[in-house]
Amino acid sequence: MRSALALTLTLFLLAILLAQLNHALTGWGVYLWLGGLFTTHAALAPSTRGGRTAAFLGGLLLDSTTPVAFGTHALLFAAGYTLVFRLRDRVPRDENTGRVVLALVTNLALFLVFSFLQSRQLPADAQLWSRLVVDLLCSQVLLALITPWFCALQARTLELFDSFAAAYERRFG
Amino acid sequence: MPSRRLDQARPFFTLGLVVAIWLILPAGIKSFTRASFFEFTAPITVAASYARDLQEYWSLRAHSKSDLIEAGRDLARLNAQYSLSVQQNSELRAQVERLEELLRLPAHANFRSEHARVARRDFSAWWQRMTLRKGANHGITVGAPVVFSGGVVGRVTEVHAYTCIVDLISSPTIRIAAFVENDDRPISFQGGVNPTYGPAKGVLEFVPLDIHASPAAPRRLVTSGLGGVFPPGLALGEVTKTEPSTDGLFKTGEVSLDPRLSTLTEVTILVPLDPASS
Repeated sequence: MRSALALTLTLFLLAILLAQLNHALTGWGVYLWLGGLFTTHAALAPSTRGGRTAAFLGGLLLDSTTPVAFGTHALLFAAGYTLVFRLRDRVPRDENTGRVVLALVTNLALFLVFSFLQSRQLPADAQLWSRLVVDLLCSQVLLALITPWFCALQARTLELFDSFAAAYERRFG
Repeated sequence: MPSRRLDQARPFFTLGLVVAIWLILPAGIKSFTRASFFEFTAPITVAASYARDLQEYWSLRAHSKSDLIEAGRDLARLNAQYSLSVQQNSELRAQVERLEELLRLPAHANFRSEHARVARRDFSAWWQRMTLRKGANHGITVGAPVVFSGGVVGRVTEVHAYTCIVDLISSPTIRIAAFVENDDRPISFQGGVNPTYGPAKGVLEFVPLDIHASPAAPRRLVTSGLGGVFPPGLALGEVTKTEPSTDGLFKTGEVSLDPRLSTLTEVTILVPLDPASS
């Protein structure tokens, strides 16, 4: 429960920062989507408890502010979490490079699935795919840049929550 | 060995369980959760918007006095033009009312103007929408048209306590009945694909065969007033291309929308005075 809350708070912060960045980029016609970051570290963290709940709640947060069926992001992130969790023993998860590569691959897969789910209501136009490719490239560049920072933030937040809990138990437990 | 296999499959079982529970969850609980999550994040969106306004205020304070004098002079000229337009407008409105009474025509829907600041813009390839800093507390209703100095912005699709969501006309989910200026045959307008580094576009369907447009000779597209949501005569964009459709009965077309749509900071919501009639 504690780790779920800590991870959800960091995802909440990420969603806010991303929304502000996308707001600023509207004049350029670029949209950043970092679904991979909502699942990767939660699935790679040493403590596995709460990762899925955090990814699911992060997804619900995005669902509430976007015109998609409620639960689309949440279920997508839960599925992404499960796959990354299944692969976590096969990748060098303690190294930044391994985390970044895994985040990039997860983001690519989730972006493609999400685009496919949304494509039913969009006009069939070649320009749509060029726009999606540009959005994906920009998202991947940003993801590669901020993944080490975000993983460190999530790790420190988990440590902070653990130390608060330990201090509470020492005093009142 | 079987227990190890079971251990490996456990995450997928859990995922399947989560999906199953989510699918059978009643719609009421889902919509309550959605509204709760939205209202939870709304204060941050609005606070960020106020912070941007404050930032703009301090940057404007850095302007020199001569800049302010020049801006004041330009505004005075605009005010003079507008006061003349207001006089002409009231005269024309009185004339329209006289004619409506004489011909016993149904009166146009009346609207109240509610100005609102844009708290957040969210423009992706999948959707184009913005969050405004006014909601149910200001009497905003779902379906209300939203306009700016360049014409139509979009339509209110969600109303929350003190924010509302507007779907832009560039969004593929929006469809409006329109007229090409000086022509009274209805055309279907739909938001289109929004390219990177360029203004948004819309697509036209059911364009009569005798209407021609090109980038060199564009035609202005305005709202028709059919459907009752948007008042007639509001600018949507410029038709820059028409070509015969596959059935040969009509043409399809492309509309260039106002580039200012992607950088709007303030808009006007036209709240119907009698929502039932619209």
